[in-house]
Amino acid sequence: MKVLFLQPPMGGWVTWGKHIAINVNHAQLAANLREWYPNIDVHVLDCRALEIDENTMIKILKDIDPNLVYMGDALQTTGVAAIHPRYKRAADLIKSNLPNTKICVGGFFYGANAQNILEETESFDFIIAGETEATMPELAKELSKGDPNISVVKGLTYRDNGSVKMTDYRPLIKNLDELPLPAYDLFPMDKYVGFNYVKKYVETYHSRGCPNGCLFCVGWSNYDKRGKNDWTKYRIRSGKRVVDELEILVKKYGAKFVCIMDEDFNVYRPRVEEFIDEMNKRNLNVPFFFMGRAPYHLRDKDLLKPLREIGFVCGLIGLEAVDEETLKKLHKNVQVDQVAEVVNLFRENNIMSVTTWMVGYPDDDESKIKNRFERIDAIDPDMMALQIMTPLPGIPMYDELKPFIQEWNLEKWDFQHAVINTKHLSREDLGRLAAWANREFYSKPGRIQRILYDKNYHPLCKLIARCYVETADKHAQAAMKNEVFV
Amino acid sequence: MNRAIHISPKDLLYSMQFKDGDFADIAIVCGQPQRAMLALEKIENPVKNFSAFGYTFWTGKYNGRPVTVGNGGFYAPDSAVATELLCVGGVNNIIRLGSCGSLKKEIVVGDYVIAEKALRGDGVTKYYVDESYIPTSDIDLNNKLCNLFENTYKGMVWTTDALLKETKEIVNDVINKGAIAVDMITSAFLTIANVYKKKATALLVVSDNLITGELGFSSIKFFDAEKKMIDKSFAIIDELL
Ligand code: B12
Ligand code: SF4
Repeated sequence: MKVLFLQPPMGGWVTWGKHIAINVNHAQLAANLREWYPNIDVHVLDCRALEIDENTMIKILKDIDPNLVYMGDALQTTGVAAIHPRYKRAADLIKSNLPNTKICVGGFFYGANAQNILEETESFDFIIAGETEATMPELAKELSKGDPNISVVKGLTYRDNGSVKMTDYRPLIKNLDELPLPAYDLFPMDKYVGFNYVKKYVETYHSRGCPNGCLFCVGWSNYDKRGKNDWTKYRIRSGKRVVDELEILVKKYGAKFVCIMDEDFNVYRPRVEEFIDEMNKRNLNVPFFFMGRAPYHLRDKDLLKPLREIGFVCGLIGLEAVDEETLKKLHKNVQVDQVAEVVNLFRENNIMSVTTWMVGYPDDDESKIKNRFERIDAIDPDMMALQIMTPLPGIPMYDELKPFIQEWNLEKWDFQHAVINTKHLSREDLGRLAAWANREFYSKPGRIQRILYDKNYHPLCKLIARCYVETADKHAQAAMKNEVFV
Repeated sequence: MNRAIHISPKDLLYSMQFKDGDFADIAIVCGQPQRAMLALEKIENPVKNFSAFGYTFWTGKYNGRPVTVGNGGFYAPDSAVATELLCVGGVNNIIRLGSCGSLKKEIVVGDYVIAEKALRGDGVTKYYVDESYIPTSDIDLNNKLCNLFENTYKGMVWTTDALLKETKEIVNDVINKGAIAVDMITSAFLTIANVYKKKATALLVVSDNLITGELGFSSIKFFDAEKKMIDKSFAIIDELL
């Protein structure tokens, strides 16, 4: 039985510049498969990293002749729904060249919409509903049998005599520390690049879920709706285990920058403390980034200095809206002043701050968006990441947003293109206002220079800022024109 | 009108509690406040001279030698005022670090232009000199700056007040008269310095090119060249006696 993890030729988020990251979902599943079912032959092909085109991809596939091809993503940095047209295209090609190869997809976007997407997509054979970590290896195991019985594999959508069926709900993994560490050895680690310049760049993922459960969050789209708010069931690798992973990345693969992609790294103080202790004990120091929520940073103010000392050079804090009413409605559980305070604390500790915010709420009009911007501008983070509301099926706000959808081409569902209108703004106006806000923010005299030339920020932060400056035009094009990047 | 002049440069300086000797012999002046802040980082123990009407000057030391830094105007009229304050306040060598648009294909974003003389398209200098006057910079300062930077072009800079009237006809005309770059400050700056017989020059980083249409206002090339301009130009202080 041969299984191939395939990342077909594709782009990435335009704001992150040249961004070719390891697919952490593939790396985790490959490790699980190898450890749990050692008789299965595991292959990896990352066309994006190796700059392989479709023809060569098919040639290589023919050589390997896999029984099962898996595609899926667990991180937003590839583009979320925008990856689906790429996976579908690859699946169509594989089916026409290797008709006996089975194709399974899972992860973002698929997890919550398995049934609908399988019904629409002939070239997929299986879609995983909910978490992929146990389901995918079990599927491979079942397929390796002479007479597989797919219906016993929980958390799967499949075809049975032409009709799409769903197996039983798959309960969530309880303890992430029981999973093996991702199989980095199978991936072309020296080929990954982030932010145009950062070589030996890695993204890692040491948790699942986020306790907060904001109503717009794309994280929901990973999870089977039959579960009970599965997205909010936060599970972590322990601080020690996180450091085990970083140690391998640094010592074995020479990682130069680690983007920790846990949606919310700082939920539990003891975990962060353990992480800092372990890093210090092992004398590990690598520049890293993580996303965390403002209230936790305020609770753990005293940890910012030790975090900076072990390499925390850049952090992202989510804000999304600036009036308490909207924040409450979104279940964001954060206050504007908290974010402002964290931005200041970051600056005091020489940590570059990135604040995310959003436009495209149904009630948004020009003055609301511009006022929201003024507030962000006054908070004055080093960088801001503006996301345009994207109504992913599977998020709690989907029903509310559905009537506003104007653009159904998923290639543009990457949070950088406007795909909806609001009660007061056309889709074009929303895109124009997003471009307006980006231009206003970064054209403030001295703002970019503050990062580019500040001696206290880590040099990698400067490279990230450089990347931003270089992609700013494309960013505006994504918001206002039809160019596709993922 | 009760007096010969409504307000003199000295009146204005003293209204800001300025006292003679506050400024150094050498001043390095930028247009924009944030550029001046980068220059401020270069000097030791800076003491603020004043902050008024949006202009701020500090005097400190670079390699042990006193120097004044600050933001000296965005446009011709305000640059005339700021330059006159510096001249009257006792500065003898003024180096302006500014930006300009290139009028030659080969002078690209990130290059530097040293203004040897200026073509006066501004509205303020006619109050200081007659129509035929051509403001010039100090040859010695120019040569010293030229040694510090690569990609440097010396020549005439056309100063205009009418940003949105840089039409083909007008621009071709000033090119024919010998201009290699355009900005909105240099002619006023040099004229005032000339009137007060001070040594002065302007080093301008190229932000855009009017011939090719290249806009580099927010490009890395421009930011880096701007930073380099500030970092390296202070070395001139060591060379001034
Ligand atoms: C971006 C920019 C531009 C862009 C603005 C486009 C845009 N969509 O934003 C454009 C291309 C129009 C521009 C043009 C010029 N600009 Co300009 N520009 C800037 C810059 C880098 C940032 C301005 C900004 O966005 N600020 C942030 C926003 C939020 O603030 P704002 O004040 O609301 O910004 C607006 C104004 O600044 C205005 N603007 C921009 N430039 C100019 C120039 C003048 C004279 C006026 C009245 C307005 C103006 O447009 C901005 C956007 O809406 C500044 C430097 C700075 N740090 O301020 C120089 C700056 C304002 N520009 C300057 C100059 C000289 C020019 C040019 C005349 C250069 C030239 N060729 O000589 C050209 C004219 C171009 C041409 N070919 O005719 C000077 C003005 C001061 C001066 N007298 O030297 C500045 C200060 C740069 C400098 N010297 O260091 N510029
Ligand atoms: S806090 Fe962030 S990751 Fe967590 S649910 Fe909200 S948006 Fe999603």
